[in-house]
Amino acid sequence: MYAFHSIKELLNALVLGKELLSEMFGKRKSFDYRYDQAMELMGENRVHALIEKGVIVKNGRFLEIDDQLLGFFEQILDVNEEINISLIEEHLTRLKENIDYYLSEDSEYRKYKYLKIVKTSLRKVGLICLRNIVDLNRNIDDAFKTEPNYKIKIKKLENYDQRRVDIKQLIQLAGQLITEDERTFFATAKDEELNRITTELRIQLQESRHNLIETEKQIIDFLNQVKYQSKVSEKIRRVKYLKDQFELENKSDIVQQLRSLNLLSFEKRPVFPVKLGLDILQDDAIYEIIKKLNRKNRNAAKQKVPLAGTIEEGFMNDISEDAVFVDLEKMKNNFSASGYHLLEFVIHYAYPKDVGFEEMVMYYCQLISLYESEFRFTDEFIEHNGTEFSVVYPQ
Amino acid sequence: MATHNLKQDIFEHLSQGGFICSNSSKPHLQRLYSYIEEHFDELATYFAQINFLLTQGDEYFYFTRQEQRADINRKLEAAFRWIDIVDFFKSYDSSFGSGYRFEPQEISVQLKVNATLKSKLKALRKYTQTDNELDGIKKLVERLRSDGFVELENEISDSYKVLASFSYLEKLILNINLTEEVRNEIPE
Repeated sequence: MYAFHSIKELLNALVLGKELLSEMFGKRKSFDYRYDQAMELMGENRVHALIEKGVIVKNGRFLEIDDQLLGFFEQILDVNEEINISLIEEHLTRLKENIDYYLSEDSEYRKYKYLKIVKTSLRKVGLICLRNIVDLNRNIDDAFKTEPNYKIKIKKLENYDQRRVDIKQLIQLAGQLITEDERTFFATAKDEELNRITTELRIQLQESRHNLIETEKQIIDFLNQVKYQSKVSEKIRRVKYLKDQFELENKSDIVQQLRSLNLLSFEKRPVFPVKLGLDILQDDAIYEIIKKLNRKNRNAAKQKVPLAGTIEEGFMNDISEDAVFVDLEKMKNNFSASGYHLLEFVIHYAYPKDVGFEEMVMYYCQLISLYESEFRFTDEFIEHNGTEFSVVYPQ
Repeated sequence: MATHNLKQDIFEHLSQGGFICSNSSKPHLQRLYSYIEEHFDELATYFAQINFLLTQGDEYFYFTRQEQRADINRKLEAAFRWIDIVDFFKSYDSSFGSGYRFEPQEISVQLKVNATLKSKLKALRKYTQTDNELDGIKKLVERLRSDGFVELENEISDSYKVLASFSYLEKLILNINLTEEVRNEIPE
C-alpha cells in the first residue's frame, strides 16, 4: 500500500474519491464494481490517482476498496459483518501489558501515558463486546431466515453458538480483569475518569451477559426449529415415497396409528337438523315469516314459459303440387245418363288416369255409399274377376 | 359476550372437525382460544357429556372421540390426502409450517422454475381436477383451509397463513414408524 506521509494526505485522498468510495461501499455486497463504471463516474485521472494511492485496488476488470480501508469503514460505521473476537482478546492483552508498565514505571509523566492507553482500551472492550453481540444476533437471524440448505444452516448456527461461547469467555475474562486480577492497579491509580470508565465497563459487560443469555436461547430455539423442520421434511419425503409405491400400509404402522386417532376430521361433517316446535308455528309472527319465505321460494323458482320450436324456413312458402283425381260427382252424372248398370259403367268409364281393378272397385263402393239414395238396387248379382257385385241402376 | 355463546361457538367450530388455534388472525377465534385455555377443565367436562373429548395440541384445540366412529378406509383416505398435500407444500418451502404466510400466486410462480414441484402438482390431479396450475394450487389450499390448517388472512392480496394446527399433520406424519428394511431402501 502507498505510504501516506500524513493524516492530511490520507484524508485528502479520501475526499478526492468520496463519490466513488461511497458508491462502491454501498454496493460492496451486491455486485463487483467495474473499472469502466468508475471511469464514467469520476473520470480516468482521478480513478488512476486513487489506484496509485492504494485507496482502490484494481483486480482485473473490477475495482475493490482496499481491505484495510473497507474494514476501517465497516468498523466505524458499525456495519461489521464479521464477529471479531480476536479484537477483544487483543485489547485485553494490551490492557494487561500497559497495566504492568504502569505499575513498574516511576516517572509520573509516563505513568500518565500508560494510564491513558489503559483507559482507551477499557472503553473499547465494552463497546466491542456489545457490538459483537449485536453482529452475532444479526448473523444468527440471517442464517436462520435466509440459508436455504439445511445442513449448512445447522452448521452455521452451531458455529455462531461457538462464537457466543467465545464472547462469553472474553466477557468473563474482562470482568475478572477489572474486579480481581488487577486490584492493585485500580486501587493505586486514583483517577476519577478511570473509575467512571470501569463502572461503565461493568455495566456494559453486565448488559452483554444478559444479551448473550437471550442469544443463547435464540440459537437453541432456532436449532431446534431447523432440526425439527428437516426431520419433518425428511420424514414426509420417505412417507410420500412409500405412499406412491402403494406400500405405506404394509411397510409402516400407519393403520395402527390411525386406529388410535379418533379425530373428528376423519368423520363425515355432521349436520344437526332441527325441527320447528309446533307451538312456535302457531305464532302470528312466525306465520308472517313463513309467508315471507314462501314468497321468496316462489320467486326463486321462476316458471319457464314453454317455447315452441322454431318454424322451419320455407314453411311459409307456397308449394304447388299437381295430383290427378277422379271427380265422383261427374262420374255419378255420367252414370245417370249412361243406362249401364254400375259395374259395367265403372269398368268402361274414361278415367283421367290409369286405373286398376282394385281402384275401380273402390270407386264402385264410393259411388254407392255417397249416392245411395239416387240409385236403384236390384236383387241380381254379377260375378266379375271372382268377386260378386250387386247390379245397380240409376233411378 | 355471554359464556354460553362462547361455548356454542366453540362447539360449532370444533364439531365440524375444525381446530381453534392460538395464532389465528381472527380476533373472534383468538378470543375462543384464550377462553378455552382459561376454562379447559370445565369445558372438557362439559363437552365430554355429549361424547366429545376436548383435546389440547401444541397451541391448538380440537375434538376427538372416545371410540372409533370412522372406518379405517376413510381414515386412510384422509391421511393419504394429507400426506400428498403436505408433501407438495413442504417441497415448495421446507419451512412451510405454523405461522408461515404464503400466496397461491407465489407458489405458481415457483412452479415455473421448479420442475419437481410442477410434476408433484400434476400428480395431485385427483384432488385438483384441473390442468390450470394456479387453480390447482388454489384447490389444494382450499382443502387445507376447509380442514382448518390454514386461514385466509387477507382477501385482497389472497394471502394465507398456516395455523398452529398444521403441526398436527406434521406430528401425524412423524409418528408413522417405517420398518427398518424400508429405511435403507428409500433413495436419498
